[in-house]
Amino acid sequence: MKQLSRYVSLVWLLVLLLLSVCAEILPLPYAPDTPDLDAIAAAPFSGAHWLGTDSAGRDVLAGLIFGARTALLISLPATIVSALLGTFLGSIAGYWGNQRLRLSAVVMVTLGLLGLAVAVLNASLGVYLSIGAVAFGGLVVVRRISGKLSTTHPVPLDAAVLLLIALLTAIPRLVLVLALAAVQPPSAPMLLITLALIYWPSTAQLARAEMQRIRQLPYMEAARALGLRDWQLILRHALPAVWKVVGAALPLSVATLIGLETTLSFLGVGLPPQTASWGRTLASARQEPTAWWLIVMPGTVLVCTMLALRQLALTSIKKEKRGE
Amino acid sequence: MRRFLLARLARAVPAAWGIISIIFLLSRSLSATQTVSEELQSSIAGHTATPKQIRTTERLIRRRLGLDLPLFYVTPAAQSTSGALAWRWQWQGFQNQYHRWLLGVLRGDLGYSFRDGRPVTTQLRLALGATLPLTAAAFLVTSVLARWLTLFLANHRGLRTALLSALHVLHALPLFVIALLLLLLLANPDALSWFPAYGLADFGDNTSWSIQVLQYLHHLALPLFSLVLVSLPSLVVQLDYALARELQADYVVTARAKGLPQRLVVRHHALRNALLPAITYLTDLLPALVAGAVVVELIFALPGMGRLLAEAAAARDFPILLGAVLLIAGTRLGAQILADWLYYQADPRIRLEV
Repeated sequence: MKQLSRYVSLVWLLVLLLLSVCAEILPLPYAPDTPDLDAIAAAPFSGAHWLGTDSAGRDVLAGLIFGARTALLISLPATIVSALLGTFLGSIAGYWGNQRLRLSAVVMVTLGLLGLAVAVLNASLGVYLSIGAVAFGGLVVVRRISGKLSTTHPVPLDAAVLLLIALLTAIPRLVLVLALAAVQPPSAPMLLITLALIYWPSTAQLARAEMQRIRQLPYMEAARALGLRDWQLILRHALPAVWKVVGAALPLSVATLIGLETTLSFLGVGLPPQTASWGRTLASARQEPTAWWLIVMPGTVLVCTMLALRQLALTSIKKEKRGE
Repeated sequence: MRRFLLARLARAVPAAWGIISIIFLLSRSLSATQTVSEELQSSIAGHTATPKQIRTTERLIRRRLGLDLPLFYVTPAAQSTSGALAWRWQWQGFQNQYHRWLLGVLRGDLGYSFRDGRPVTTQLRLALGATLPLTAAAFLVTSVLARWLTLFLANHRGLRTALLSALHVLHALPLFVIALLLLLLLANPDALSWFPAYGLADFGDNTSWSIQVLQYLHHLALPLFSLVLVSLPSLVVQLDYALARELQADYVVTARAKGLPQRLVVRHHALRNALLPAITYLTDLLPALVAGAVVVELIFALPGMGRLLAEAAAARDFPILLGAVLLIAGTRLGAQILADWLYYQADPRIRLEV
């Protein structure tokens, strides 16, 4: 039974993926954005439009297929970017904590000045690169010299990452997206970046907790006792375990991001109005209250996708637990 | 006990202050130029203006919006010495935007809206008045209903699978789909027209207060349903999971062995422990009480906090956004302290650790 539901959800997601990949070459009778003025809000299963049209005469079937493409094109890359960013920040915060990363004062001042220069100067990329090269050279030199001379201070990495998370979560997610969407003109890449920037804290919290747990385990201690470097410990020994936990939650992130994308398209923000999306089709149901197909068709597709993603996440989390 | 709360406050307040300050400085420094230039364009639109007039108008606009002062106590100033640009930190004194804003916040004055010049505190109060009854009612109904449903699930094993699958499907629906479904099913002249489709009740002068209350509830019903339906499934699933785990514990066996009926074992022994994780979940919902529900308020056209925030965000009305963020961040800190306090009260093991 469990296996069956897992296969069904996998097949559904694969079909969705295939349809969205070949959306351009499919022999669809109508394009998603050309209104058919002869058939405005036409009912499904009766005329030339298989699944009917919306209040502007746009074909629902084409809208669904191209909407699937939009949803996947936005949510999959945004999930990957936010997972990478969150894993990186979360695991460095969990690994080093507030006390364990110690840098000498000279290095810290150099890095701080560099950050300040980037923040204040509005120079071109070349200037940044040269500043970075000079700073890196200086850093190496300083490290050689100051090994014995200067005392070291702990860097509160954990507190910094937690502050960043608190900053992002202080504002409701949807309001943050709305504010960012108001500054930039609506476009798919902008929305992708915005969603990724907003969504990484949840991954980071997951990765941070897991890293804090793993770091205490005997095998890590043994590896440290062997004299491995910090980056070797993190990359080779800790990250595979952290990535398992993060990866198990990935389908859930995709589901959440698809929900956010459709909500935003429903509200008419984030994506340009000519981009097909399930949210846009659902929004057109408000102008045409009798057209049940405008809410049933995209709603069903949306629910099936969400359920399939949840099912995947559930089975992978269960497998993860059994593995322990 | 008091020391515990004081220590939490001493940690939380500086953090909140830091976050709000960073948001203030970031939003002001990133958006000031754009806001002013937009205002400028709208005020000189259709006129031909000389450069001098434009400069004067810009100065006046900056003064009206409070953007004419320097941003912070120290600001970097560009100096061109011998051809190359050099940066120097300049002390600006206490006449700066940040200082004024902070003093205003301490006095309870959050400034004036960029859009219509009304005081932010008044607008926030009006919006909260519309939002709080809705979200607080949703919160109460959800928690009571979740407790009841969990008990029901524990006592009726036969209905478990069906109910849990229904909850999972409900959980998969985004909020806007639920609201839209309710709207098109129950507030649609072509289907069932049981509830009004949007807005709050507008009261005539001669209606009695009981009718007013009824009308108000009638208007709030659909938004309330959608909020409850969207937050209920996750809470019930979580509670059910926690309860199932508690029911396997040793003390439950003891309770059964001494002859307690299953009903009492669940209600008095297992459920109390299963409710512990729900504390975090419920206190996490508290900031949302103040933040409002953007989607529901937009769909049902309620003049609440979420809509105010969404419109302010779309119009880049930063005083309103900052005021609301201040309110939400304050509530979140309060909720976290409340959660800690509740755990402290509920779980003796934590009390021993502090």
